[in-house]
Amino acid sequence: MTDLSAHSSPTDSGDVEAYGRGPLLLLAGSSVVWLAVGGFFALIAGIQLHHSAFLAGCPLLTHGRVQALAETCFVYGWMANAGLALALWILARLGGEPLRAANWTVAGACFWNLGIVLALVGIVSGEATAIPLLEMPRAVQPLLLVAYGAVALGGVLAWTGRRREVMYASHWYAVAALFLFPWLLSIAQVTLLWFPVRGTLQAVVAGWYAQGLWTLWMAPMALAVAYYVIPKAAGKILPSYDFASLGFWCLLFVGAWTGGRHLIGGPVPAWISTIAIVASTTLLFHYGIVWLNLRVSGGAPSIPLSFFRYGLCAYVGGGIIDSLTAIRGVAEVTQFTHFDGAQQELAFYGAVSMMLLGGLYYALPRLTGRPWAYGGLVRAHLLLSAGGVSVLVLALGVAGLVQGGDLNNASVPFPEIAAHIRPWLLLASAAQAALLLGNVLLAVNFFKSALCPYYAAAVAAIRQDQRSALEAAAR
Amino acid sequence: MKNGALLFLGLFAALGVSWAGIVLGSSAQFGSLSPYYDAGTDQAYPGGFPGVAARGQLVYRDLNCASCHTQAVRRLGFGADEARGWGTRQSVARDYIFQPFPQLGESRVGPDLTNFATASPIAAAPAGVYELLYTGRGGMPPYAFLFETTKIVGEVSSHALHLAGGLQPPAGYEIIPTPRAEALVAYLLSLSSSFNDYPEAKAPVEPKPEGSPAPTDGKGAPPAAGAKPAPPAGGAPIPAPATPEEAKK
Repeated sequence: MTDLSAHSSPTDSGDVEAYGRGPLLLLAGSSVVWLAVGGFFALIAGIQLHHSAFLAGCPLLTHGRVQALAETCFVYGWMANAGLALALWILARLGGEPLRAANWTVAGACFWNLGIVLALVGIVSGEATAIPLLEMPRAVQPLLLVAYGAVALGGVLAWTGRRREVMYASHWYAVAALFLFPWLLSIAQVTLLWFPVRGTLQAVVAGWYAQGLWTLWMAPMALAVAYYVIPKAAGKILPSYDFASLGFWCLLFVGAWTGGRHLIGGPVPAWISTIAIVASTTLLFHYGIVWLNLRVSGGAPSIPLSFFRYGLCAYVGGGIIDSLTAIRGVAEVTQFTHFDGAQQELAFYGAVSMMLLGGLYYALPRLTGRPWAYGGLVRAHLLLSAGGVSVLVLALGVAGLVQGGDLNNASVPFPEIAAHIRPWLLLASAAQAALLLGNVLLAVNFFKSALCPYYAAAVAAIRQDQRSALEAAAR
Repeated sequence: MKNGALLFLGLFAALGVSWAGIVLGSSAQFGSLSPYYDAGTDQAYPGGFPGVAARGQLVYRDLNCASCHTQAVRRLGFGADEARGWGTRQSVARDYIFQPFPQLGESRVGPDLTNFATASPIAAAPAGVYELLYTGRGGMPPYAFLFETTKIVGEVSSHALHLAGGLQPPAGYEIIPTPRAEALVAYLLSLSSSFNDYPEAKAPVEPKPEGSPAPTDGKGAPPAAGAKPAPPAGGAPIPAPATPEEAKK
C-alpha cells in the first residue's frame, strides 16, 4: 500500500492524455464558466441580505431564487464539472491507458450543462423545489442523471481496465464519487420529487441527501485529487498511508449519518439528531487521518500546493467546527443563522473548491502541454480566493454568532438584529466580490491557455492551405 | 486494497446502510402518522389543509420564502421560540402530515411562521398581510410583483389595498392582489398549530420520539400505521391533495 511508484513514469506518458484532452477540457472549461456565473449570483444574494430591496422589483430574482441559482451553479455547474474532469483525468492516468468512451464523455458533458441551463431557467420561472442543494426543477433531473452516467462511464472504464491491479487512495475516492452520486440523486428524486414522502419525513430525506452530497460526493472528489496531486507536486510519499483506507471507510460509512444535525430541536424524532451528533464526532477520526496523510503539502513553494494547503486546513477545520456545532448547546445559538452559511462556504469553497482549483492548476499544463498563459493571474487568483474565502467565512461566522445570540434574546426585535449584523454582511459581500473577480481571472486565463494554442494552430493551418492553393493557382 | 468488486460492494453497503437507517428507519417510524382524535372536542387534529392553502404553499415554495423563514418551533427551553411568541409548544411531525411540501426552512433571517395566523399581530386581518407583502418592512423585501395596478372601473374593488402616503396609486387607479398573492396570503393565514394535546407534544423538555404507539388511554386509537388516514368522526378534515399537480389546478 505504501508503494506509490505507479504515480510516476508509466502513467505519465503524453499518450494517456492525448485522447482525453478534448472531453476533459470541455468539462473543465464549463466548470470555470459556472464558477464565475455562480459567483455573480452569490454576490447578488449577498447584497440582498443587507439591502433587502435590491432587485426586489424583478420577480425572477427574489432572494430565495437567487440563492437557489447561486447554489445550483456552484454545486452542479462548477463542482460537478471540475470534479468529473479531474476524476476522469486521474483515473485514466492511474490506469495507464488512454481515456475510453470519450464520445460518451463529450455527449454527457453537453447534456449535463444543458440540463443546468434548463434548471436555472426553471428556477427563475418558479419551478424550484425549495429543497436545499436540490433546488433544480423536477423535470430536468432525470436528464442530469443520465448525463452524469455518460460522463462517468469513461472513469469507470478507466478504473476497471487499469493496467495494474493495485488501487490507490485516489482510486477509492474517485470511484466512490462516480458511483455514489447517481444513487444518491436517484433516491432523492424518487422520494422527494416524484413520489414525495409524507410530512417532515421530507426534511429528513433532504438532510440525508444534502449531507450525502457532501460526504459521499464532493469530499471524495476533492480528496481523490488531493491524494493524487499532493505527493506528486510535493515530491514526497504520503506519510502514514496505511491508515488512508481507514479514513476512507470512516468517511463513507459514518459521513451520511451526520445530516440530522440540522434538525436538532426540529419536528422529527430526536434519535435522528442524536445519531448525527455521534456520527459528527466519530467523523473526526477521518479528518485526523486525512491531515496525517496530506500534511506533506506544507513547505514546498508551488501554486497548486498552496491551494491544497488552504483546502486541507479548511477541510479539517471545517470538520472540527461541524462536530462542535452538532452539539445541542452550540446548535441552540448557531442553528438557523448565518453561521450555517459560513460552515457551508468553508466546506464547499474553502475545502472542496480550493482543492479542485489546485487540481485544475496542476492538470491543465499537463493536458495541453503548455504552461498557464498568465502566471500573474494564477497568483492573483490564489490571493483573491484564499483572502476572499477567509473573509467570507469569518464575516458570516461572526454575523451568525451575533444573530444567534440576538435571536435567543426575545427582547431584540428583528430590525435590530438586522442592524447588528449588517456590517458583517457588507464585509461578506465584499468578499464575494473578490471571489468573483478571482474567478473571472481564472476563466480568462483558462480560455487563453486552453483554447488559444489550438486557435493559433488552426489559423496557421488555414493560412498554409490558402498559400498552397494560391501557389497552385499561380502555376 | 486490490479487489475492485469488494470496493464496489463496500460503496453500495455504505450508502445502503445509511439509507436504510435514516430514510427507511424514520419512514417506518413516522412516515404514516395519522391524525389524532381528541375526544374532548370531538375533532381530529391537525385540521385539513384547504386547497387554496396548498396552492399558496406552492407560491411560497417557488419564491423560496424558506430561505429566510422557518416553520418549526423548537422545543421549549431550546432558544427563545416561545418567548418570541412563535408557539407555546414544540412543533411535532404530526403537525405537518397534511402539507404536501412542509417548508421547515433553514434560516431565520425573518421570524418563524409556524403559528403566523394566530401569533402574529400582522395576521389579525388579511389587509395587514397584503400590505406587508406589497411594501416590505424591517428587512423584508417588497413583493410588489404579486400585485397589479389597474384602472378603477366602476367602484373600487373590495380587494384593493388601502395604502398611505407615497405608496398610493395614481388617482383613478387601484392596487389589487393577483391570484398568486391571494393564494399565498390564504396559506399564511392557515399557518397555525393550535392543538396542544398531542401525546408526543406533552413532554415538557425531552419529548419522546414522534410516531410512538397510539395513545393507550382509550381516547380513540388512530388507524393502523400504513393505512391512509381515515376521515375521523366529527369535523372531518379535508384531505390534502394527493399530488402537487392536483394542488396546482
